[in-house]
Amino acid sequence: MNDRTRREFEAGLAADVDAWLRGEPTRRSFIKRFGQMTGMLAVSGPLLASISRSALAQAAVQLADPSTPLGQAQAAALKASTEGPADGSAYRAVQAAKQFSDVTLNMTYESGLQALDPRHFSGPMWEQLTGMKSNVVELSHPDQYSKPVAEHIAGSGAYDILDIEPAWTPSLADGGVIAPLDDFIAKHMNKADFDDYHPLFKALPTYKGKIWGVFDDGDMFALYYRKDVFDDPKLKDAYSQKFGKPLAVPTTWEDYAQVAQFITDQMAPNLYGAGHFRKAGSPGNQYDFLQQFRANKGELFDGDMKAGLVSAAGIKTLENMIAANKASIPGNNELDAVSLWAAFLQGKVAMIYSWPPSGRMAANYSQSDAAINFIPRSTIAGKVGYAIVPGNPEHATGYSKALAADSENPEAAYLFMQWATSPPVSLARTMLPYALRDPYRLSHYKSELYGALWPDAKDYLANLCNSANVGLLDMIMPGWQDYALSLDRMCSSVWAGTDPKAALETAAAEWDQTTERLGTDSQKAFYAEYKKLPGSSADHTVEALGMAVKL
Amino acid sequence: MTTDATSAISPARRQPRRRAGLSEWSDRHFRWLLVVPAVLLILSLSVYPLVFSLWVSFVNYDFQIPGHAFVGLKNFSMVIFDPVARWSLVLTILLSSANVAIELGLGLALALAMVRSFPGRGLVMSVLIIPLFISPVIVGQAWALLLQRPFGPMNYLLGQILGQEVTIGWLTESPWLYVALIIADVWQWTPFMFVILLAGLTAIPPNLYEAAELDGVDGWQAFRLITLPQLAPIIMLAITFRLLDAVRLFDTIFIMTAGGPGTKTYTSSFYLYTVGFTQFHLSQATAGSWIFLILTALLVGLLVRRLVKSEPA
Repeated sequence: MNDRTRREFEAGLAADVDAWLRGEPTRRSFIKRFGQMTGMLAVSGPLLASISRSALAQAAVQLADPSTPLGQAQAAALKASTEGPADGSAYRAVQAAKQFSDVTLNMTYESGLQALDPRHFSGPMWEQLTGMKSNVVELSHPDQYSKPVAEHIAGSGAYDILDIEPAWTPSLADGGVIAPLDDFIAKHMNKADFDDYHPLFKALPTYKGKIWGVFDDGDMFALYYRKDVFDDPKLKDAYSQKFGKPLAVPTTWEDYAQVAQFITDQMAPNLYGAGHFRKAGSPGNQYDFLQQFRANKGELFDGDMKAGLVSAAGIKTLENMIAANKASIPGNNELDAVSLWAAFLQGKVAMIYSWPPSGRMAANYSQSDAAINFIPRSTIAGKVGYAIVPGNPEHATGYSKALAADSENPEAAYLFMQWATSPPVSLARTMLPYALRDPYRLSHYKSELYGALWPDAKDYLANLCNSANVGLLDMIMPGWQDYALSLDRMCSSVWAGTDPKAALETAAAEWDQTTERLGTDSQKAFYAEYKKLPGSSADHTVEALGMAVKL
Repeated sequence: MTTDATSAISPARRQPRRRAGLSEWSDRHFRWLLVVPAVLLILSLSVYPLVFSLWVSFVNYDFQIPGHAFVGLKNFSMVIFDPVARWSLVLTILLSSANVAIELGLGLALALAMVRSFPGRGLVMSVLIIPLFISPVIVGQAWALLLQRPFGPMNYLLGQILGQEVTIGWLTESPWLYVALIIADVWQWTPFMFVILLAGLTAIPPNLYEAAELDGVDGWQAFRLITLPQLAPIIMLAITFRLLDAVRLFDTIFIMTAGGPGTKTYTSSFYLYTVGFTQFHLSQATAGSWIFLILTALLVGLLVRRLVKSEPA
């Protein structure tokens, strides 16, 4: 080191030391601290990842007491997965999936109760069988549509398996969000499994000749009523004296409103005739309107794809719904699905039509699990009868499992879907007290184990099957989200006092706008395809087509 | 000569000089280097999305319609001619004005009441500002539970007070649903006004009041002639902050009414959310966002100008 270099070094050092003594950050201290921060970040990444991994680690599989029907169904599912029959879809899926033991599957599920199945049962059991881990991404129902779309646009590959409404299939398929399963099905699935679906659900994941998912949730609306009220001799006498006909479970919407009003007149405030989830976005209005509108012979679109809402059927439907609202529990128009259940379970309402968990909750079966203890205990267990919704019941939403097109592990994802929806495994899943998956396979409806869950469970299953025989499907075509939103707005504005005809006209204008936006000709073609499905209209149900399932 | 001298310097001597040059350059530009990460962050997280959204608003970016064809001003016209969008803007103006006005009045009253010391003042103040720390979603849920028939206790309580049955549909009937939304917002955000105005009140020099007292000025005159003028800049600041937040009203609407019944409680934010993330018409929602941004920017400009004017010289 020569003199000049030494002087420069000492001057630099002195400047640094002076700055340090003054408490100022120097370049050296900055670089040092920056290095420390970078090092800490490098260390904290893996550290946080390991902590979050352990926090989110799959819980051990929760199995019911083997002596219970659920325990036996779970044991049967496990046996079918490990011992066969060798040509069963569950066994074949497990065998093929073992090569993917290091894979983690990211699957979307509706947040809350729906997600408990993959967290507590199917996810851990799949891991136990194959080594494959699962990461359950809980989303609100609308986000189950929007998030996969957003992730697809971003190309993130965040999800492998998507829980979607069958009505979303055309949009998601055309948008490239989901991938067809035909090749995987040909390679792995036992085709007999298709024949085990109720005919209403069998074709739901099929679109443009390809299969875009596996159906997984039979969301049939059904009527749940108080047998003790309808059997009350005093009420029966009073009803027959007033109307000249016996008090009976209604089979038409006019009767429904009349019976509900009669019960309310006779028994309020202790008991009201009916209750409905009518709150905007609850979601419910669109399903109820669609089932009544089509039962009233309403046509969704005319030959030019103009909305058919402004019609005698539309007016009649809204008038019937208004009459039913008047006959209902106070606050009816503010109820969502859960608060309606609460009112029914507390014995405040004589009739509701809703999704299948209604029957399980009314029997206090669902509440046997702590996870569902936010729902009140049923005070009406043993007093509830099951019937078909007047006219034709709606299959409201439902779920298909679909393969995310951006999945990095498509085959592994498909194998989980096949396994989870195979007859023995899906039976155990639909029997979980906390789950909201509802029976959809013929083997579910006929299951002795399911039928033993509570005293009337066999009647409950038979009613769900019969409801599916005459059930109606949501509009499975592009734009469903928009059409449904318009109906929800229309109904809730009518409940708030808007003239029904004016509301129908507004909704029809919105429908026409949606149709034009998506292309009238292409929508016409989609509608024609939809009309071919069993359940597209009241005169095109499974039963009308001669395919009804009799148990 | 110079060239010769330079060339005479050995490479070993040239290296320290180069190092010194590098050090000088580093010293001169070090501050810019420090700024680079922040600039890159802003460019990537703010500028790029803004430019991208501008592009989206002029093309088709609808999930269900393939391609991104240029559509000119169509997306903007769809928003402008959408009666729901126009109503949502009107409601946004009405609700945010009502909310801020009531919050200002109540906040000022509370601040005046709390400016003087009294036993338990700290505790009362702590309780008063609790709503500020609660997520608006929770606030919406809590008020929905209180107001929703048939389980919410509000009608029962009112019935007990009034001595007759009360059957108000707080979440489904006009005008009560607007009252409910205003109550929820006022409950949460009045403490914000209160805290800011209290800070302003404590900053007013007490000698002004002492002088006024000597001059025989009464309480109302002191408030009108001293407190309000002294507090004006703070009031403008509080209104500006609060109004900018109030026009984005979304969470409580989402939870309490879901925009219903019909579209009666659609605010601009809720409308844009619905179009963008329920219907997934992204280009229309983006165009609407730009319109909303421009309107908000005009409001901000106006308020800031007033704010600057109201600063005491």
